[in-house]
Amino acid sequence: MIFFSDFYQIFGYVTSTIGFFMIFKKCDVKWWYSFIPVVREYQIALCSDKEKEGQTYAIINFLAYAVGFMTFFYEEGSTYILIPFFILLALIFALIIYKIRIYVGFVKNFGLSKKWIVFFLFFEGIACLVVGLNKNIQPVKKVVNYKLLDETKIGGIKADSIDDGLTVNITDRSILDFFRKKYLLKDIHLTIPKGHMVLLLGGSGAGKTTFVNAVTGYEKANATIELSKHDVYKEYGKMMYDIGFVPQQDLIRGNDTVLLTLTDAASLRLPSDISFADKRKRVADVLELFGLSAVKNNLVDKLSGGQRKRLSIAMEFISDPTLFILDEPDSGLDGVVARSLFKQLRAIADEGKIVIVITHTPDRVIDLFDDVIVLAKDQRRTGRLAFYGAIKDAYEFFGKSSMEEILLSINQKEEGGEGRAEEFVGKYVEKVQVEANV
Amino acid sequence: MKEKTIRHTGRLPQTFIYLGKLFRMFIFQNDWKVLPMSAIIAGLVSFAVGRNLFKTMEGTLTGTFALSCICIWNGFFNSIQVICRERAIIKREHRSGLHISSYVLAHMIYQAFICICQVIITIVICLATNIVFPKETLLFSIPYIDFGITMFLITYCADMLALMISAIAKTTTTAMTVMPFLLIVQLVFSGGFFSLPDAAEPLTDFTIAKWGLISLCAQGNYNSLPMVTVWNSAVKMKDIEIEGQKPLKIVLQSIEEKGQREEILKQSGLQNQNPKYNFDLKIVLKCWKALLFWIVIYVAVATLFLEYIDKDKR
Repeated sequence: MIFFSDFYQIFGYVTSTIGFFMIFKKCDVKWWYSFIPVVREYQIALCSDKEKEGQTYAIINFLAYAVGFMTFFYEEGSTYILIPFFILLALIFALIIYKIRIYVGFVKNFGLSKKWIVFFLFFEGIACLVVGLNKNIQPVKKVVNYKLLDETKIGGIKADSIDDGLTVNITDRSILDFFRKKYLLKDIHLTIPKGHMVLLLGGSGAGKTTFVNAVTGYEKANATIELSKHDVYKEYGKMMYDIGFVPQQDLIRGNDTVLLTLTDAASLRLPSDISFADKRKRVADVLELFGLSAVKNNLVDKLSGGQRKRLSIAMEFISDPTLFILDEPDSGLDGVVARSLFKQLRAIADEGKIVIVITHTPDRVIDLFDDVIVLAKDQRRTGRLAFYGAIKDAYEFFGKSSMEEILLSINQKEEGGEGRAEEFVGKYVEKVQVEANV
Repeated sequence: MKEKTIRHTGRLPQTFIYLGKLFRMFIFQNDWKVLPMSAIIAGLVSFAVGRNLFKTMEGTLTGTFALSCICIWNGFFNSIQVICRERAIIKREHRSGLHISSYVLAHMIYQAFICICQVIITIVICLATNIVFPKETLLFSIPYIDFGITMFLITYCADMLALMISAIAKTTTTAMTVMPFLLIVQLVFSGGFFSLPDAAEPLTDFTIAKWGLISLCAQGNYNSLPMVTVWNSAVKMKDIEIEGQKPLKIVLQSIEEKGQREEILKQSGLQNQNPKYNFDLKIVLKCWKALLFWIVIYVAVATLFLEYIDKDKR
């Protein structure tokens, strides 16, 4: 005998399946996904442009099914059944929250009123059916299957290793994201001689941090990175002390004094056989170099933004690294302080170091840089090299007169850019191929 | 380029560098406040439940449970935020050559110092509020040392559990959300104070409160103490009339007149002994070993999770 609850469940499943089927067709998702529990909810999240929420929802949903299945093994009336019951209750609560998040994205993508969220929550099947059948309701953004897109041209021409400098040969850098392989970087080959100060330019999500992490060996890529012929990946234990990376945020303990912060940094980064006197001298020199001597006994919390930034840089500079990478060192600084900081970085480069800087306001200090690396997202959203070379060559290559304009030209249209990343990546590949043949 | 066969600061010197940082934090970042806080908590608890502690079975069970709770509370608050609040800094330092094992070891040493201080403070407060510790001891001749070790292990174990949560949680908010949940589990599943169904009994082995409570009760010679519940209930029911008489009142008066009250209470205790609280060194050592075992587990898990700190998103 079929009870009302069973009928309601069957009716809900049938209507939601038909609804999902129609919605998936609108969003360019494979129709047969609509029959598979867990998978179909994940696909609906993709249709809602809420991929992360969809992943979490799918995992919780799977766990809920597993816990629900467990309850069949308990004897009727057993108190043990309360344990999975409570877990199930918690999971269902989490599912409801994630469902709300997903449908918030859904109504936005399909241009529906927010009242629809309630409808989706309580009568999901009917709501999906209505949206699926109504031809006037169409998604603003369809689900992109990156695999089906043509791959942007790959140069694959490796940079020759140089004695006095950095050689980067990144074939690719990928991650597994929810059972899918995602390429974060591809086909980046370049050499930077010592004494050069290089600007690393790229829009949001273009892979700047991934590139920096791959170059420093912090997150290894399918690549060969050589610093003066030493393989950074193979000799990472030693090379990490020859590479300084200054993060964007000033990650320093505020309750220590400047002197103690730098002394501890020296103890961590300098070779252990250096005498205490030499260590102290190095700390004093670096304090002097970065203009921190006057505030050396102040607590870090009491420093100004510029002073904190200089301390953050000094902490990495204490080990006198050959490769020095800075992630937005000028964030939060005014123009004058920022320029003074960049002049200091120029002076470091002039001592024969390689300085790579990420900054979002490059034009005010562009005269201090030698070269620029431009990273851009291709149509598969992989970080690609759109240009590497001298500053004036970059202006010529992109046909622009400032770095800001170059950035705008490669940014996606939905980010307010010109969406020409694909074009420049291809053009740069051709340029490199031509140069290699010559 | 520089010669790269040079050695850098090893694990032990790094531990000392971080110990220095932590003790500076103790002074400059108000970490010292956990000590007066533990004194206040100990004062409140001993005021509330200290009167019958180590005097009657009921008072001892309630009092030792409260003592365990103080220790667990102290331990939790000592370290629940210490790692997650500076996670990004640790990530940066790990990139610059920090050994996670040194970092965790420095925390273990520093937290041990804090826990010892808190235990001393708690015992001093107990003594100041006229709690009399049993004179008979199981291991050392001074009872405060025996009790102190148990209380230290409870506090330290809770401290390391909180350290583990702090190492796993990405933010202080997450850590502080998990903490009350853990505290409830510790209290409910202590296995001594609340009656649990048989099915839930194995779960008690996972709690710090269980091992702490058993150890403290055993050291307090719980089974030799009088039980007053039956007597107190009888006193409350003394005026109940049965067939025009008050038999309970007559019996109680008779016992009082013959001076057998203490004997009755003693007998009541004898009938309600719990073998797991026997005044036995083996029981106490078993509890200590269990607490040490959990300390090792918590530290190992914390270290393991921190080793993956590089995977943290920006």
